[in-house]
Amino acid sequence: MRFARSIGVLVAAALAATGTARAEQVVKIGVAISLTGPAAVYGATQKAGVLAAVDHVNKSGMLKGVKLEAVIEDDASTKEQGIAVFQRFINKDKVAAIIGPTLSNTATAADPLAQAAKVPVVAVSNTAPKGITDIGDYIWRVSLTEFQVIVPALQRMQAKLGFKTAALLYGNDDAFTQAGYAVMKASLEHTGIKIVGTQTFAKPDRDYNAQITALKALHPDILMVSALAENAAGIVAQARQLGWNVPIWGGNGFNAPAFIKNAGPAAEGVYVGTAWNKVSPDKVNQDYLAEMKARGVDPDQFCTQAYVGVLAIADAIKLEGGKGTREAIKAGFAKVKDLPTPLGLFSFLPNRDGSHPPSLQQVQGGKFQIVQ
Amino acid sequence: MWDQLADLYATYQSTIAFIGINSLLALSVYTTLSCGQLALGNAGFSAIGAYAAALLTMQAHWPFPLAILAAVAVPAVVAVPLGLPVLRIRGIFLAIATIGFGEVVRLGLVNWDYVNGAQGIVAIPQKTELWMIYLAVAAALFVLARLRGSKWGFALEAIREDEPAARTMGIATTRYKLAMLVLGAALAGLAGGFEAHFTFMVAPNGFGFGRVVDMLVYAVVGGSQIYWGPVVGAAFLTLLPEILREVAPLVGIEPGPLRLLVNGLVLLAVILFLPNGMVSLPRRIAEWRAARVAARSAA
Repeated sequence: MRFARSIGVLVAAALAATGTARAEQVVKIGVAISLTGPAAVYGATQKAGVLAAVDHVNKSGMLKGVKLEAVIEDDASTKEQGIAVFQRFINKDKVAAIIGPTLSNTATAADPLAQAAKVPVVAVSNTAPKGITDIGDYIWRVSLTEFQVIVPALQRMQAKLGFKTAALLYGNDDAFTQAGYAVMKASLEHTGIKIVGTQTFAKPDRDYNAQITALKALHPDILMVSALAENAAGIVAQARQLGWNVPIWGGNGFNAPAFIKNAGPAAEGVYVGTAWNKVSPDKVNQDYLAEMKARGVDPDQFCTQAYVGVLAIADAIKLEGGKGTREAIKAGFAKVKDLPTPLGLFSFLPNRDGSHPPSLQQVQGGKFQIVQ
Repeated sequence: MWDQLADLYATYQSTIAFIGINSLLALSVYTTLSCGQLALGNAGFSAIGAYAAALLTMQAHWPFPLAILAAVAVPAVVAVPLGLPVLRIRGIFLAIATIGFGEVVRLGLVNWDYVNGAQGIVAIPQKTELWMIYLAVAAALFVLARLRGSKWGFALEAIREDEPAARTMGIATTRYKLAMLVLGAALAGLAGGFEAHFTFMVAPNGFGFGRVVDMLVYAVVGGSQIYWGPVVGAAFLTLLPEILREVAPLVGIEPGPLRLLVNGLVLLAVILFLPNGMVSLPRRIAEWRAARVAARSAA
């Protein structure tokens, strides 16, 4: 009898506990990123960014009565698993919003599922200009497209160096570098710079001497390269070995510490456009850097964009009066304007792409430095 | 109750579809293996089927069933002129030549601007239904089952065991081998057509060398001695990563490389302990049991 009563007390206590817990609304965010496979380099830092941002939002108390919870799954850099993860988030975990996937190719396969199920998606690393946000009104993007990064940076650089002609070299067997090339070409045409020559290579290539020699003979004022980090170092090193001291501009793939490490001294002077000004003295950015340092993370652009992805979701919930439903978050995104983030003041454009000031950086003394 | 079942189905819908698609791909490798030929051009055939179907529905506005028929027919037609010369070479040389074909297809697509090169075709309408995929798997299994014990089946087996001997017995080996290559190409193309209209996009990098290795692994892990073995392998290997996704949090594994490691270990265990594939598991258990009984009676 006493036993039964104590069970009754326990049950009552448990009910009371869930009762108080229910007062706090938990908003689940599905995070579909590549933790294995070719894009794992980016996925690992994206994970760190998301976890830091969720802690930041929950501790700051900016969302009263709402607790964010990240559900992280690996898409193995494949569209097959990307789709499986999205269906899981939508139907099993019932998340309020999805961040990811890491690769644009996976996004074109998985995002339509979220659009059909009316689950808002925030892309934090897809930079392909077409085929992402035009999937539908539930697909939003924090990561700047390459066009948004390259054009302002190119104009600033042209004002500085006054060049008139350019040569292009790009990897044509990779979706990311091919899209980067298309944007470089459009940006050059937009800025009125003449393209004197174009050469291509493939991802497995390790010898670029033929392409570089052909381009060198055309004497362009600048060489623009769209390559993944694994190819970038070899291209830059071989160009310098051939005694070619032309200014080199690297695409988004150069935005990796691995590039500087592998290219060594040859990397000196290379220009890369970037979405994130790491050394920005802005207080939000400095606080973010301190926060990441405390967590033992050395943040890069991808980490920061993932962080801002969570901030955008939190802001959308706040703007909708603390409602964390799928519809509320989607409606809230449209109102996100001049949100202070480590990337600068962030807004969503009417076409659901993100907008914030990009920067131009140059390798100096074995580090990326912002060109003012 | 029904809601939960519906959620469960919605959650694993894509996995179920991919089990079917991967089964078709595994069977496409099995067709040539059944006559002893290691032909590995199937990723290329699959790409041709996928691109043909996607272009026909999106550019030419063909109805989906016709586009799927084209996904079967185009790679099958391509297989004939490819097969006539390459089937004269055997073993590892045939494997290399057909891998070369697959790479030619992939690089051709990468350099073809009309289909967006490496970025592939996107925003393909989703038209593939689960029943279509499984109807195709059932049909393929039916054909392969009927082959066994038929004149054709015996001829294929003879070629697999000893090709020169089969030729001396009057079997037109080239014709049989070519027919199986064409059948394999048709199955791979069909899988490609289904995949293109299921995943909203196709890109050349999805049809690289790694993909054909996957197909071969499905067939070998499942068991390449019997026609339904590849389907077992495809089902098991497609499910495994998703099952591990379910199990991982229960044992405290964070999402990431560890899941891949366990995946590899399970694969290794199957290859080591079941060299004839998963279909040999019941027989292996019977053998172990018999050995134990024998040991006990000896003692």
